Formats: sequence, C-alpha cells, structure tokens
Amino acid sequence: MRAPAIRAVGLLSGWGEGAASVPLDAKAAAAGRAVLEVERPALDPERFRRSRRECLMGVAAVHLMLEDAQQGPEAVAGERTALLFATTAAYAPSNRAFIESRGGSTYFPYTAAAAVPAEVAIAFGLTGPYEILIGGAPATLRAIARAAALLEAHACDHAIVLAVEVFAECADVFARVRRAPSVPLVETAACLWLDRGHGTIIFERRRGGTGGDRARIGEMLSCEPLATLALARETGGEGPVAVAGTWRGETARLEWSARPYRTRSRVA
Amino acid sequence: MPRAERIAITAAGVVTPIGQDLDTFWSALLTGADGISIIERFPVKDLRVGQGGEIKKLTRAIDWRRVPDSRAARLLVSAADDLCVQAGERPLGVDPERLAVVIGTALGGVEEGERALAGSPRRFPHALYDAPGHALGRWLGARGPVITVSTACASGATALGLGAELLRRGEADAVVAGGYDILCRFVLRGFDSLRSLTRERVRPFDRRRSGLLLGEAAALVLLRREAEAGGKRLGTLLGCGSASDAFHIAAPDPEGRGIERAMRAALTEAEVDGTEVDFVSAHGTATPLNDTIEAAALRRVLGPRASVVPVNSMKGAFGHAMGAAATLEAILCLLAGRHGQIPATLGLEELDPACDLDCVQGVPRAARPRLSLSTSLGFGGCNAALVIESA
Repeated sequence: MRAPAIRAVGLLSGWGEGAASVPLDAKAAAAGRAVLEVERPALDPERFRRSRRECLMGVAAVHLMLEDAQQGPEAVAGERTALLFATTAAYAPSNRAFIESRGGSTYFPYTAAAAVPAEVAIAFGLTGPYEILIGGAPATLRAIARAAALLEAHACDHAIVLAVEVFAECADVFARVRRAPSVPLVETAACLWLDRGHGTIIFERRRGGTGGDRARIGEMLSCEPLATLALARETGGEGPVAVAGTWRGETARLEWSARPYRTRSRVA
Repeated sequence: MPRAERIAITAAGVVTPIGQDLDTFWSALLTGADGISIIERFPVKDLRVGQGGEIKKLTRAIDWRRVPDSRAARLLVSAADDLCVQAGERPLGVDPERLAVVIGTALGGVEEGERALAGSPRRFPHALYDAPGHALGRWLGARGPVITVSTACASGATALGLGAELLRRGEADAVVAGGYDILCRFVLRGFDSLRSLTRERVRPFDRRRSGLLLGEAAALVLLRREAEAGGKRLGTLLGCGSASDAFHIAAPDPEGRGIERAMRAALTEAEVDGTEVDFVSAHGTATPLNDTIEAAALRRVLGPRASVVPVNSMKGAFGHAMGAAATLEAILCLLAGRHGQIPATLGLEELDPACDLDCVQGVPRAARPRLSLSTSLGFGGCNAALVIESA
C-alpha cells in the first residue's frame, strides 16, 4: 500500500503539549500519581457550553496539529479530508455520568463514541469520509492504514487520524480492572495530518506479542501509536519508521519503508 | 483508479423482535408483523415512552456457558448461530487465522456498565464497546482481526465497508461483519430525554409521523472475495461510502449533504450511477426531520427516476435497531432480490408530500431489484451508504 506522509502532528497529554513534554521514564515522572490528567481546554465557552472535556481535548489536539503545520482550519475543511477516530474508552465518563445522573445535565448525544469526532468535524468543517474504531493501540494503527487506503484510492486528499483517551472520571474503575498498573494512565488527545506520500506502508497484526513504549510515555491506550510517532519525528535520521501496539492479546504494527515526516516539530 | 474488488455476501443471520432466523424475519416483514411491545426486561414506568422492539426471549439452542452473561454478546452469538446455519457450516469452513470479525455498535456493552455501577463491578470489562465483538470472535473461533466500529446508527454499514476492505487487502479470507445493539435503560432514557420517541406508532415517511421507537437486534453477513465465494451467495457488496455532516452533535444536516456525499461515494466505488438503482432500503426513522432530509437527498442522487424507485423502511416493524439497522437494511436488499418481493413499510398510510418517493405501502410489491442502495444516518453526523447487487 502506498504510504501516507505525516504532514503534521498534534499531541496534548497529561505530560503537557507536544513531544518535548513527554518524559524519559513515565513511572518516575508520575511520582506516584495513577492518572495524569488534562485540564479542560480553554476553548470558546459559549460555543462549547454543552461539550465534554474529551471532546475539547480532541479539538485542542487538531488546533495543535494545524499550528504544527502552520496552516489555518481552511487547509483541512471540506469533503476532501477524511476523519478517522480511534478510542478505547473516551465515551466511558459520559456513559457513567449519564447512568449515575450526576447533576442530570449530561446531554445524551455526548455519550456516543461519535461525540468526540463530531465536535472535531464541526469545529474544523471536516465533511469527508468518516470512520470510528474502538479498541486500543491496534485500532489506531488500523485507522492509519485505513487512511492510507482512502488516500491511495483518492477518496480523500488529506486524512486526520485522531485518538483520545480520558481516565480521571473513571479512575476508580481503571484501578480495579488494571492487572499491572506499573505505569500511570496518561490522558491524551493526539492526531496526525496525513497526505499521500512516497514509498510503501505495511500493516501487520498477530496474536500475542508486545508493542509500544509504555515505560516511557505511560499508558495511553489508543493514543500510544500517535504519541510514539510524534516522538519518533524528534529523533531525526533516515530509514524506515515502525510503530506497534497491543490490545486484547493482539499486536498490530505499521512500518513505513521511508521516513514519512514532511516537517520537524515547530511547537514545543 | 482501479475498480474496487467485488465482495460476495454468501450468508446472513439475524435476531430481531420479529424473527430469530433469516426466513422467519423475511416472512414477518412480508406479512407485516408488528414487533413493537411494552418493554418488560427493565423498568420503564418513569419514562415518557416505555415501548419498543424488544426480543422477549432468545430462542436459539445455544450453549450459553461459552458466552459471557451479556445481552449484547448473546444477541450477536444468536445472529452468528443463524448465519452458520444459513451458510451450512458450523463452524465456518475457513482457517480460523483467516477469519475476521467486524462489528458495528452504537452502545457496545453499556448495559454491563449500568450493572457494574449498580453493584457488580466485575462486569466493568464487559462494558467496553468492543467487548461483545470480541465475545463473538471467541465464539466463532476467529483468530483473525476482530474489529469494532461505532459510527452510531450507521455502524452496521461501516462494518460491512471495513470488512470488504480486509478482504481486498488480503488480511482475511472470510469476514463476519454486521451490527447489533440492545434495548437497555441507558438508551431508552437517553432518547426519552431527547423527546425523540413517539407515543404513537412508527410511521416512516407518513404525513402523521411523530418520532421513532427503539428496537434491539443483531444482524451479520458472511463476506468472501468473489473469486473464492463459490456458487452460493446472496449477492455482492459493490460499494460503501461514508461522510460526516460537520453540522450538529445530534441533529442531521437539514440539507442532507452528508448522506448525499455518502451515497455518491458508495455509488462511485460501485461504479454505478444513481439512475441505475432499482431499490432503496432507507434509514427512514420516522422522525419529522430525518425522513424529509433523506427523501430530498435521495431525489438528488437518484435523479429523474426518484419517483419510480421503490423505497422501504423497516423501522415501523420493530423500531430503530441502531447499530444493527444498516446491516438489516442491507440484508433486506439481498432478500428482496432473492425472493422478488419488496415488503411494505409498516406504519406508512398517508405519504408525506415532503417525502415524495415511491414508498412501498399497504402490501408487498412484486419486484426483483438487482441494484439496491441502503442509507444510514447517525448521531455525530455519521452517514454511510451501501450499494448491493442481488444474486
């Protein structure tokens, strides 16, 4: 499959903004904190009055991506940009709030897994192909592969692959079900701007195996591959770039035959 | 651009309020069976509307010890059991490593979240939206990709499109694809709070339509590459398209531009023109807004033949099956082509002039559509369309 080029990245996590904020050792940097939270992004309070924190994180990540590309929203607006969203459980806090009727004010449509990409699509006028995958890191890697397929088929000219995870509202649940909480949960919204590129990309999956670099970045679930790709851009060098991730006993891996980045980071 | 490889649909399986196998489901659609009833499985007395398309009892003879105690997973397994019977293969005759599962859902295992928060914390893992799909994968013995998509009420179409992609890319040799959702307090309370539910009957495209009712169902198809499908098939998936509205978190774009783009994308992938479509299996939720928007978009896409292309909506028979709806609508296209009949739209008595389409009403129509179009719209501006050719 023809490889997509990575034109820009957006990364907002419990560590801060951009790849430079990510520590070398998540456990040490967390200093005993189980969850690294992202504050509700300060976007237009009137426009986003009903919107939830996870939605605003998605919007903020795309803003960072556009800043990285030195482009305005008009560069991605319209039907030639595909939006592919991946998450493991970004819907969990809204589901929980609705079930528990905290304040009774959760607007039901925001409980949908589609709420985050919907807010992003509305904010940036993205009206092209639209898909939402549920799962851990392999879902995001598959979303990148799917974006590559859409670009190759000329079903779109640009693709935004976005992943969002939030943990704070359900920290007690995650504490109960995580088997090996050796690294902190790191709330993250991350995205890539993909265009048609050069060379090839290979998507592989298999049962078992391991992938990702949780020891460095912490547990980001579906955001992990995007954060890893943001970090890989900073290392420079030439040659292939590969990223892998696991979920539910499955490992997925993407490998670009040539370095896919169009730019170096412009934002911290 | 090379033509997208044609993907054969070789079998289908369903569990719905009007039938828990394909033949019963089809007969019920033709005879106008009504699957709407007062909901009995959970309390509804505090809600404005307490009726919907509820499956009172799962009737298939399945060893439930192998399936999690989750209604969502059990609906999926029931539909898969029917699919295996229809395919004449149990287990499916494909290398497990090359068998993939792609499942669409709007709600996933959310009822397990309700139960967990009510005091059964061990149920939390089953509350993740991809949990029921993985339970199905284990039941089928699939060791290929197991994928969950959640484009709200368009999920069942997105799943078929992604399943076709897995085959075209050589990631699998067979894909069980489809969608499901169950009725639970969470979703009923949600739609009730939006005042989307009708207290009357569901009347798609009718002048008196006043809203939707929800239903529960699971629907699956077996996808194979055409060259490997053999002679037995229901039809062919020719194209799939999706598009975002980028308009509102819940309401559809009043111009219907998103669903129009999705339809045109599906037709483009199928390399057919809107004027070639013989039948439309519509989303047709019976909300005042949806049906007008969808009808207008269909008129633009179908062109001059829009007034003579038969249209059906199943929502009157058992409500809006959410994540299962689009797959059921695709299966309707296949069955209509196979049996040479298009069911009437239950609840439609007086066509709304604003929905000026050839909606089949009253009695089934004798017609054998070759090319069918299925449309789906969902929360978050999710739109998807499928182009299907009958065998």
